Amino acid sequence: MIDIENVVVEYGRGTRAVLAVDGISLHIEPGRSLALIGPSGCGKTTLLFAVAGLIRPRAGEIAIGGHVVSGPRREIALILQNAGLLPWKTVWQNANLSLALSKEYPEKTAASVLEELGLAGAKGRYPAELSEGMKRRVGVARALSMSPSVMLMDEPLASLDTLTKERIQNLFLQLWLQRRFSLLLVTHDIEEAAFLGQQVAVLTERPARIKTLVDNPGVGDVRYREMDPFWTVVSTLREALEG
Amino acid sequence: MSLIRWAGRILRERRVVGHIARYVAAMAILLVGWWVASEIVEHFKGRAFLPNPIHAISEMTRLGPTLFRNFWVSAWRLVMAMGIAFGLGYPLGLLIGHERRLDQLISPMIYILYPIPQVAFILILFLLFGLGNPVKVAIVATALFFQILVSARGAAKQIEMEHITSVLAAGASRWQVYRHVVLPSTLPSILTSLRVSVGLGMAFLYIAETTGAFDPRRGGLGSFIDSNIYSGAQAFAGILAMALLGLALYILIEILERVVCRWRHVSRRRS
Repeated sequence: MIDIENVVVEYGRGTRAVLAVDGISLHIEPGRSLALIGPSGCGKTTLLFAVAGLIRPRAGEIAIGGHVVSGPRREIALILQNAGLLPWKTVWQNANLSLALSKEYPEKTAASVLEELGLAGAKGRYPAELSEGMKRRVGVARALSMSPSVMLMDEPLASLDTLTKERIQNLFLQLWLQRRFSLLLVTHDIEEAAFLGQQVAVLTERPARIKTLVDNPGVGDVRYREMDPFWTVVSTLREALEG
Repeated sequence: MSLIRWAGRILRERRVVGHIARYVAAMAILLVGWWVASEIVEHFKGRAFLPNPIHAISEMTRLGPTLFRNFWVSAWRLVMAMGIAFGLGYPLGLLIGHERRLDQLISPMIYILYPIPQVAFILILFLLFGLGNPVKVAIVATALFFQILVSARGAAKQIEMEHITSVLAAGASRWQVYRHVVLPSTLPSILTSLRVSVGLGMAFLYIAETTGAFDPRRGGLGSFIDSNIYSGAQAFAGILAMALLGLALYILIEILERVVCRWRHVSRRRS
């Protein structure tokens, strides 16, 4: 369970302080998903980084599984905008990075995850040799290698073409259904939020506050995009964002 | 055996052969240019002030063992100095560039010292290290240290935040951030800076080897050129040897860069 309780995040100090997140409370049950959507620069990534333990909130509390988050934790995986791959490491090294940092490598490796994601043949390649879609899959492999109970995603499919984006959204959905981690997704793509978030929180302009929380119970079917309730949620979210 | 196989594979690559061909062509053009210039100087001045490259090369062959001994003395000094400057300047530059508080504390001092011509420190270095090899190495190392330090600081400041966030989120310690991000991401710029510093190092090596005429253990190509300054062909044989030393180091650093920064030279394959 992810508990975000009245969280306030501020950058800078004194007169230069900028309020980025202003009193947000959210609760995500284990195995459920929530998407955060809002205007660019509103503070959604800041909130996500606070959940990842990378930023300390000025006020409020974030807890995962009842334990207060005070820094990065093994069970929390973060997928960044451009997959966060290190260009000087091969696919194999990138996928095993989290395991190497926690000194679990080489006893434990990401071999099976790479196989599952169709990357077994690309182990020796560098990120510069991969397509954008493959890069995202390597990022996913790294995140899954630690078998996390919480998956955080920061606009993971930004700048991808529509078809690749849909293909990887389907992959995310399948992985989430199989592994049932709690998913917190930050995106500016309304359809992505509606496809992956069982709840979608629409945020205001900076400082981020919750404008609307939309329930989206249809999430979980790859063909959800072809169904009417999906488009109803999409138009509700669009209205909330524009309003 | 594997080294021979590796060298064979490198040579089979068309790019490497092209690279060697370009260097050979450049040397040929420079030698022809030199020969034309010496002919022009002789024509207008009536004397061979600028020796013919053929004479200089034949002097190189004649003075082979002496020149070779001086070549190794200079090469050893230059490599030592580059190693010391790299070993001190690189980590310190990374620390300053990556740790904001350290940067605020140390950078002003560096930017006060950096613009001072390093030649000004020569006397102090002679007083500190006396005569012999240590002072020559120290003169070159001092000159290169600041260049590498400033480059390393700049490279550390250019690191993409996403790379650091990515390892921090995976639970990296401070040391692991240096090992997995700061060091590898700055290596290409530092090796470029080291390659550029070969020229600066050669200039300071010449100054170091020609300063202190009373030093009985001078040796090195600078001293060789200085001792033969009035016999043109011999002096130019020394200058040619110095150029070859610079070229050899330049190529060595380029090979090193291709090996340790292989990721920069891969092209996108069909996926």
